[in-house]
Amino acid sequence: MGVALFEKIQEIRAIYPEGTQSALLPALRLAQEEYGWLSPDALREVADALDVTPAVCKSVASFYDQFHLEPVGEHLVEVCTNVSCALYGAQQVLEAFQDELGCRAGETSDDGKVTLSTIECLGGCGWGTIVAVDHHYRTGVKPEDAAAIVKELS
Amino acid sequence: MTDHVTLTIDERTVTVPKGTGLVETAQAAGIEIPVFCYEPRLGPPVGACRMCLVEIEGMPKLQAGCTLTAQEGMVVRTARTSPLASEGQNSTLEFILVNHPLDCPVCDKGGECPLQDLTFRYGPGNTRMTFDKRTQEKPIPLSPTIALDRERCILCYRCTRFSESVSEDNDLVPLNRGANTVIGTFEDQPYRSRFSGNVVELCPVGALTSTQYRFEARPWDIQESPSVCGLCPVGCNISATTREGKVKRIQSRNHPQIDEGWLCDKGRFTYGHLTAADRIKTPLLKGEAGFEPLEWDDALDQAETLLRAGGDTVVTAFSGTESTEQAYALGRLLRAGLGANGAVLPEEIPTALDAYRAPLSSIRDATTIVILTRDLVADRAPIVDLWVKAARRNGATILTEIPEEKLEDAVLISDNAAHAAWLAQDIDAKSAFYLPRTPNGRGVADAWSAAGDGEASNEEPRVVIVSGDDAAADPAVRALAAGADFVIGIGLFQESFEGLADLVLPATSYLERDGTTVNLEGRVQRQRRAVIAPCPDELAWISKLAERFEVEVSPHASLAFEEISGRIYGGVSFAEIGEQAPLPPAAEKGAPVPAPKPVQVPVADGLRVIRYRPLFSGPVVDRVPEVEFQKADHEVGMNPADARERGVIDGDMVTVNSRGNFHRFKARIVRDLPAGTVRLSTYAEGDLTEFVAVRK
Repeated sequence: MGVALFEKIQEIRAIYPEGTQSALLPALRLAQEEYGWLSPDALREVADALDVTPAVCKSVASFYDQFHLEPVGEHLVEVCTNVSCALYGAQQVLEAFQDELGCRAGETSDDGKVTLSTIECLGGCGWGTIVAVDHHYRTGVKPEDAAAIVKELS
Repeated sequence: MTDHVTLTIDERTVTVPKGTGLVETAQAAGIEIPVFCYEPRLGPPVGACRMCLVEIEGMPKLQAGCTLTAQEGMVVRTARTSPLASEGQNSTLEFILVNHPLDCPVCDKGGECPLQDLTFRYGPGNTRMTFDKRTQEKPIPLSPTIALDRERCILCYRCTRFSESVSEDNDLVPLNRGANTVIGTFEDQPYRSRFSGNVVELCPVGALTSTQYRFEARPWDIQESPSVCGLCPVGCNISATTREGKVKRIQSRNHPQIDEGWLCDKGRFTYGHLTAADRIKTPLLKGEAGFEPLEWDDALDQAETLLRAGGDTVVTAFSGTESTEQAYALGRLLRAGLGANGAVLPEEIPTALDAYRAPLSSIRDATTIVILTRDLVADRAPIVDLWVKAARRNGATILTEIPEEKLEDAVLISDNAAHAAWLAQDIDAKSAFYLPRTPNGRGVADAWSAAGDGEASNEEPRVVIVSGDDAAADPAVRALAAGADFVIGIGLFQESFEGLADLVLPATSYLERDGTTVNLEGRVQRQRRAVIAPCPDELAWISKLAERFEVEVSPHASLAFEEISGRIYGGVSFAEIGEQAPLPPAAEKGAPVPAPKPVQVPVADGLRVIRYRPLFSGPVVDRVPEVEFQKADHEVGMNPADARERGVIDGDMVTVNSRGNFHRFKARIVRDLPAGTVRLSTYAEGDLTEFVAVRK
């Protein structure tokens, strides 16, 4: 496993200028694809492959909502809570999902199936509230839609 | 005047060189632009804190002054003359203080805190916030030496920029995003860097504080003594903070040619050795049940008797931690009083190297640097490593092998004095730095030669004087001492001399004495007494002892220095050295130096072990538990390629074995290490042979 990831990261590294950290984001994505989330050991592997410190990897990975520093469920529900969606009632949508899943934002449902999180603007401000279900956008989501979406995923 | 620009700041006209930052330009005009995050030593400005807001004619909004450079004809208004800028800075401070706790009365930074000072001068006198402030767990140990208080952090990124762009350890980073950003390390591991303590000094608030200094003193009841660090040959300029006769902390005292205001953690955090449990305070005589304390008069009688027994066979082994004056005083006593000219000097530095003398800061501007050292530069002379890193960031080429051709622009850094003297001539280097093993080995050698000029006796030494704890730990010195009838020790710590010496006389530490020290550049610097030693000064009792041999030795460091200086330093006085010592000019290039014999590198199966002396080692470090975590005795340094071949990544536990002996070490990837070798501390397990196998 480790060797394959190392090789893949080297391929990516080769297309970016030497001495920069440009390859870090795609390398973190590769590691996340490989392991599902970025565990401390996964971050150490990326660090080793790119000749940077694990701290730098963690710094970058923790900046982006798209990287998971905790294990995630089979499915991912991300609720946009930025200004436009907030005006559409994103908070209520989020709370509806919390009730349905029995977990709070940033956590995974007890059965390990669904991870719920908030996310920064997804660029669908005209069609709020935007909820990304496994990276596919649902537009105009209302609190009462939460139950159906959760059912879909179970 | 094309290289200068003229502009107006608060109606004052000022002319500065092109490219000067606005903060410095204002300073030149006698005007303050207040800052938190701005610190030119950390690389380009980031404009993170917004404290430096100024109004600039023609620009619609307030600008961050620290990110701008002076332009011809610019009209700048600071908070002094611009209500807009004043309002901007006031609001910035109000924002910074939204979540900053009002715990100044119990904060170590209180009284010397830029946030406190600038709030008084530029900030709101009151708060409009009625909600609770955000709280965090505090303080968190960032390491055993540094405490992190995240509530107080204003996210100026000084500390993380230091970690990224100065020490380049990249282990202290910002985590998360926006308002949730915190400073931290990977998986809350201790922030472990040779230079970590600098972030405490950089922090403009009380977020990063020293655990040793925590609650120890207040800025208004302390004194500062300007001195020079005595723990490595760099000789960083320090300020020792004392309260009620005790050293409470060590801070940097920026000497731009030597240290640029940085210190290593060894220099900053190991002053605790002054109060070590086994500190020697009175003379000790070996008795049947170990050492017994002795009255000073009896001790001098004993010393006289032993020295007379040794006569001209007495050999003195120095540590290189002595002040130049102490070494000189001992030299006068022994050479003039007994004709005992035998000495074990820690360093021999060829005078040919003086022709390649340059300030350490010149390394930063080098285009090519040749580094030929067995130990990492950072372990021998930590601050030199920072200069090399600065040069590398400026685009310098770093070579680690002997170059084939002449390199007129090259700076040579070596830990082999004779080789360096030859190579500097051979490649026609611009400058050369020899990294001595000991802090003042150079001054000690100078002093010994200034003290007399007879030849050493050919007889086996009947008495050996072991001066300093480092000499006492040196196997070669111990072997020499074992063959003598009597051994006189002079040192700080009792344990160093147990089973070694018959008579031990107490020594002072570099923080407890006046004197001079010569750093690796050849710069003579002054150390000042920050605190009174728990024992008399060496010069006092050496002087008394010398009287018995009819030799006049001054008990005063200034007079001793005058004598030395008259003989070898061109008569320069204590006062002329001052608080920021100048560098003597480079000498004329002398006669060619013969090429040294090449060293044969043995070859065998496995990885060759290079034993090295880590920065965090030695008798002083061993007595300061807070820096224990910095020790590298349980680590093995590996070249990246060798590590990859074995599936090892940084931080993995590995087994190192040779001929049936095996030990577990934490692997550390060391990029500068030659392939086919591993690095082990000299204090790591000793039963491993020269070639080892490593596996995960």
